Amino acid sequence: MSEIAVMNGNFAAATAARLARPEVIAAYPITPQTPVVEYLTQFAAEGNLGSKMSEVESEHSAMSILSGASMAGARCYTATSSQGLALMYEPYFRASTLRLPIVMNIVNREMISPQSVWGGPQDSLTLRDAGWLQIYVEDNQEILDTTIQAFRIAEDQRVLLPINVCYDGFYLSHMTERVEVPTQAQVDGFLPPYIAKHQILDPARPMAIDPLTSGYLVMEYRKKHMAAQAAALGVLAEVDREYESLTGRSWGGAIASYRMEDAEYAVVTMGSVTGACREMIDEKRSRGIRVGLVKIRCLRPFPREAVMRALSTVKGFGVIDRNVSFGWNHGIVYQEVKAALYGADRIVPSVPFIGGLGGEDITMDLVSTACDTMIEAVDAGKTIHEAVWLWSPRKGVKL
Amino acid sequence: MNALDLLAEREDMISPGISACVGCNVELTLRIVMKVLGPNTVLAIPPGCMGGVGVVGWNKRSGAKVPVFFPLLDNTASMLAGIRLAYDAKGKDANIVAFAGDGATVDAGFQALSGVAERGDRIIYICYDNEGYMNTGYQRSSSTSKGSWTSTTPVSKDGHGGKRQNGKDFPMIMAMHDIPYVATASPAYVPDLIRKVEEAMKVRDGLAYIHVYNPCLTGWGIRAEESISVARLAVKTRYFPLYEARRREFRITVPVPKPLPIENFTSRIKKFSHLGPEAIADLGKLAEDRYAFLQSLCRGKDNNA
Repeated sequence: MSEIAVMNGNFAAATAARLARPEVIAAYPITPQTPVVEYLTQFAAEGNLGSKMSEVESEHSAMSILSGASMAGARCYTATSSQGLALMYEPYFRASTLRLPIVMNIVNREMISPQSVWGGPQDSLTLRDAGWLQIYVEDNQEILDTTIQAFRIAEDQRVLLPINVCYDGFYLSHMTERVEVPTQAQVDGFLPPYIAKHQILDPARPMAIDPLTSGYLVMEYRKKHMAAQAAALGVLAEVDREYESLTGRSWGGAIASYRMEDAEYAVVTMGSVTGACREMIDEKRSRGIRVGLVKIRCLRPFPREAVMRALSTVKGFGVIDRNVSFGWNHGIVYQEVKAALYGADRIVPSVPFIGGLGGEDITMDLVSTACDTMIEAVDAGKTIHEAVWLWSPRKGVKL
Repeated sequence: MNALDLLAEREDMISPGISACVGCNVELTLRIVMKVLGPNTVLAIPPGCMGGVGVVGWNKRSGAKVPVFFPLLDNTASMLAGIRLAYDAKGKDANIVAFAGDGATVDAGFQALSGVAERGDRIIYICYDNEGYMNTGYQRSSSTSKGSWTSTTPVSKDGHGGKRQNGKDFPMIMAMHDIPYVATASPAYVPDLIRKVEEAMKVRDGLAYIHVYNPCLTGWGIRAEESISVARLAVKTRYFPLYEARRREFRITVPVPKPLPIENFTSRIKKFSHLGPEAIADLGKLAEDRYAFLQSLCRGKDNNA
């Protein structure tokens, strides 16, 4: 029987990693991810984790060690945040182009400067085009479930890509919630051992990995990589259904809709702010306002069709971004959603919001006001092109 | 097996026809090293000459008969450490080996290598030190000798310029990590090189590091037929002493009791040709200082002459 426990998001991630039985773990501590590394080393010290672990000297080496281990056929796990991810960028990009199914939790933290250690997915969103799969989750149960599923998705022969399961620093990493933990036997049944077939460093069958390669072959590799990204959407849905039959929990696949059935308006969210927005939607609904919520779970691959379907019947929508896209004057998720809707039958008004940077709270009041602002613009048939900033005024600070 | 028999009998693990420069002693070193290591080897060739000449391969062809891959310039040691962990997890064993230039070792790859040394990951790391980024036309590295012309430390028409700093004493830096085995080697002393690779293969408790000094014909300006003799002169002038160290136990393996004047080495090399007698004498003094330091580490044993 699964166990019911109370745990913070980092413990949920570490527990999921333990249950997945990675053969190699290499992780370098960084706020707010640090407890993940501490929990894993403690599991190992207690004899509850059989992975080979490396106490690396940097995130660059963490990803490099896992790249080598994955090329030798091992199941691999790590976790990082912000500056650590930035330092890791070189082997990070390469892990995807080498098609290495490494699983990495990203405990989202703002990118400096100014110096900040608090939440925000700017770190991983900035790397959205580095070829990894990226899933963003809302609460600690979803961290645990999705991290376990991530191994299945990444290692699927139709995918063979590394994957990030991203969760907000502090809001999830350090907050405790009720979490159901499946048994080891359940996870073992769900997650068979990883057998590397596409490339393997083995003297019994020598192969060269990454010789100097001509452009026409690079193009072939990139096209196949894109096809694998696309295939991941189907695999994600399959894995979600199978996991549901095992545990009773479905997370909806690439997106999750809330009260969208007869919605006239939609609020699009990603990550932990979704929780506040659900409450806000309930409150609006109680006053007869037909607004629903679309949570983006899978940012890479971007579920273009699903987003288009979900937003095709509303009069308009707003997107709440906890990040910025410099040069666009709005957030990254807004940009992605708008791009998906280019193929829709009709173009509806929309409003981009930016809030919660550097761990700043996105309160119920803020999302409620955002919803009102969006409805007002939509009813006026007007798209607002530049971000509306959500923030609680502070004395002496002008925004 | 003696060195000649080994070279004659063992299979060449590197493809024929790789495109190294005529007379390249790095290619020679690699072929020798791989004959010693044999087929149960995973080989990493990071960016550098040996990557450039096709040892990893070209398109769908491999340049080696062992599993071979192309790490990043700065993560060779870490990637190998990961392979070792995966092999340990699976209960497999093989020689996990880097054959990396000085750029990938003493510069960009140093952090990863130092990390592996400290953690005791069991890999064999061989650096072919040709004092710079030769594959791309000889840009300086932190291993480049003081005074050297390089394309990024150029010399003016009236003879001023060249690199302003001494190269790192890199094998000594590695020895100070207290690793199980460190050695220096030369393509001019093949039996010594072979024995040191064999010693590295015996290491079970951490990093084995071998630093080979490979004068570069094309970059340094050396005649192809002097490829080996210049490498030998580096040893005979004490500019590059051959030794090994097991943790704190140092031993000079090719003693040089009567060193030749440094000019015997430098005069064969065009990259030093703009240097006056004082600058050349500085290189000689550096060699003597480093040799004396090495002797002091040998604690008065009779091989330290």
